[in-house]
Amino acid sequence: MSEPVHMLELSGVAKHFGGLYALSGLDMYVDEGEIVSVIGPNGAGKSTMFNVVTGLYGPDDGDVRFRGDSIVGLAPNRITRLGISRTFQTVHLFPNMTILENAMVGQHCRSRSGVFGSVLRLPSTRREEERIRSKAKESLAFFGSRLAGYRQDQPAFALSYANRRRLEMARALATDPVLVMLDEPTAGMNPRETLELRDHIVRMRNELGLTVLVIEHDMRVVKGVSDRVMALDYGRKIAEGTYEEVANDPQVIEAYLGTKAAG
Amino acid sequence: MGALPVRSIVRAGLAGSVVSMYVALVGLYSKFADLELVGEQVTLGRVLLLAPATVVAYAMTRPRIVAGERRPFAFGSGVAVGALTGLATGVGVAVAVGVADWFGVERIREVFIAVSEPLIDFMTLGTALPAGLLVLVALSVAGGAIGGFARTAPDEVRKPTSVGVLAVIVLGLLQRIVPIVLVQLGYTADWLYSPVTEGLTWLGGALIFAVGAGANVLWRRAGSSARERVQSRVAEQPAAKLGLVLAILAALLVLPLLLGEVISEVLGTVMIYVLLGLGLNIVVGYAGLLDLGYVAFYAFGAYTLGLLTGGFLNTTTGAAEPALSADISFYVAIWIVAIMAAGVGLLIGAPVLRLRGDYLAIVTLGLGEIVSVMTASKWAQPLIGGPQGLRGVTKAEIFGFNFQDNPQHFYYLALAFVLLALFVSWRLSASRVGRAWNAMREDEQVADAMGISTIRYKLLAFAIGGAIGSVGGALFAVGIGSLTPASFEILVSITALAVVILGGLGSLPGVVVGALVLIGMPGLLREFEEYRLLIYGGALVAIMILRPQGLVPNIRRSRELEEEEASQDAWAKSAAGEAEAVAAVVPGGPLGGEPEDLE
Repeated sequence: MSEPVHMLELSGVAKHFGGLYALSGLDMYVDEGEIVSVIGPNGAGKSTMFNVVTGLYGPDDGDVRFRGDSIVGLAPNRITRLGISRTFQTVHLFPNMTILENAMVGQHCRSRSGVFGSVLRLPSTRREEERIRSKAKESLAFFGSRLAGYRQDQPAFALSYANRRRLEMARALATDPVLVMLDEPTAGMNPRETLELRDHIVRMRNELGLTVLVIEHDMRVVKGVSDRVMALDYGRKIAEGTYEEVANDPQVIEAYLGTKAAG
Repeated sequence: MGALPVRSIVRAGLAGSVVSMYVALVGLYSKFADLELVGEQVTLGRVLLLAPATVVAYAMTRPRIVAGERRPFAFGSGVAVGALTGLATGVGVAVAVGVADWFGVERIREVFIAVSEPLIDFMTLGTALPAGLLVLVALSVAGGAIGGFARTAPDEVRKPTSVGVLAVIVLGLLQRIVPIVLVQLGYTADWLYSPVTEGLTWLGGALIFAVGAGANVLWRRAGSSARERVQSRVAEQPAAKLGLVLAILAALLVLPLLLGEVISEVLGTVMIYVLLGLGLNIVVGYAGLLDLGYVAFYAFGAYTLGLLTGGFLNTTTGAAEPALSADISFYVAIWIVAIMAAGVGLLIGAPVLRLRGDYLAIVTLGLGEIVSVMTASKWAQPLIGGPQGLRGVTKAEIFGFNFQDNPQHFYYLALAFVLLALFVSWRLSASRVGRAWNAMREDEQVADAMGISTIRYKLLAFAIGGAIGSVGGALFAVGIGSLTPASFEILVSITALAVVILGGLGSLPGVVVGALVLIGMPGLLREFEEYRLLIYGGALVAIMILRPQGLVPNIRRSRELEEEEASQDAWAKSAAGEAEAVAAVVPGGPLGGEPEDLE
């Protein structure tokens, strides 16, 4: 191979809604083992990029490749099975299922028992169910005692806001991903919870060996976790590099503060 | 409470009198005027006569929610407000009756055939008119007071009383069944049910009230700890659990012997609807796909079984061989039917995969109609007999059982398949498959993003739901022996859905209870047959208002509704609290908010 294949690579990706260009010719990549942060003002196209990668939207133009193969046109559940897992900007749990069940849903794509196995409760089905359960508990345990113990049998809607965010991440981890995409994981968290989450993101890479792509507004988190930072505006990449490089980039400052304010 | 809520009382009274007039106009009062429940005086008609006032008074005295807090009525004022509501109801009805009398009963009768002198006599307890109107109003006041009492009396009084009264009414209604059972068991029934009126004797009524109320008192005394002990013993000890299951099974097995043919036949019909309900429950309750065309599977199962087991066509020139048919044993054919119906489920499911909610409902409604129209069409006549239908469906005879001519035998056949379907539904609900359906029902897009193939699981729900429904149809065919299009109309879809909703979406005991209430009750009380649809409608409206999670709710489903209420309460409380707090800080009023908090 002449050049190394990126884990995730977007080339010339465009997505528009009517006349609004949410993404216009976005090029970006994520390499294995990286923590990459995406920043940008509201409406810059960050979440649209997530939705295009995970298959919720099909791109109007361009290509998305995962480990070298195009994943454009695959159903979201296929992309999840390939190893890309995500959370949502506004928390989307299954609110009436228990916390454990929510995490167990994550293991769905790594298990296979069907109708006959379930009705007859075959030994293989029971073993698999046990495995799903322990794997789900393992994912919940990633967040320490926050989602442990008696809480696991409570419905998800009973959780506090921060715990809902954690559960959503645990559910994403339970899909056995190689790339985790977190959409504003600290939104709505208090400063202490935000710091705790910063450590969690780093641990996802260091302990679980995952690659992390994270959309984040809190600059302390971005600074604390990122190997590389990308700034988007108007659906295009306007800057890329280390946190310091991007934070001092005049285009980025302009995008956040406006032209006049700088002068 | 502060001032008397005159306006709401008048409004509730008006509603009550409209209901009462409606009940009178459709002929329910006259119909049940002579159905004695207890003694000669307490007839179902008279209970119904009190009912509108009782119901609106009960609704009227519900706890009000003021600024997120429940404020129940006090006992005394509750009864008073109830009585006043009854008064308003009674005055409304009395005015209507007075006007009708002045206008001439005979002239109204031309439009509303139920209106008659005996009806007015009945409503006034036989008192001649001007004075009779006062009797009518007084009855209504009493009804209203009962409603207020039932809502606001202290729990230790109102609960035993309500249970006792309900027990008397239910056993009074079961007057055709309970005596038969008693006699079968070798007891005499005369002391409980009067041979003259067929209803309960006064002694019997008093005894049943005492037993019902006493049981409730004991149950309340025993307290939650005893109840939990019983429940945990059943839940934790496998032997106790097994014993319970065996006891229920034994009871189910001897039931038709005790009840005799007529009631066994009703139970057979109930079980066909349990099967339909269980199948539909997988589609609607588990997977959340609203299917209004479920009759398609029922018809498919019935006709396919008929054709596979040697049924022949009814034609004007005599019996004819269908274009496609076989002559195989029922015990082989039923599985073929189920598998083919699963295929039909896939066929119906495939075009509607992208549709959600209302759109799905409308399209499935159309598909169901297509199937039921097809059963009656000339075009399909060579295949399934068209309007003349199909005859000679197998009797599935085995070991001396005849499932067509003997309703008691049919009961056992239906029971076997109901138990099988219950088992399948139960195992599926607590499995990876059930979890996937659940996730899909809660949020389809997120389920997809978490790795669940929504296409696959939607199709699976249609296939399994279709297979179970078709077995219901096939059993119907065996039981009745000949099929005509009249049995496969949209009403089947609606009834099956009503069974599932009444019992509680996603709840297996709910399906059984729903079928017993909606199919069993009208079947047992032949008088109700005419009003079956009216009762369905009323029952569904009542359940949606009073107990939207269903009679025997699925735990998850009730959580959904609780969550909504809890969040509404929390919102109402916090909104009220904030408004006060803001008003206290900002003299100008609640203008200062913190927009950051809203994001």
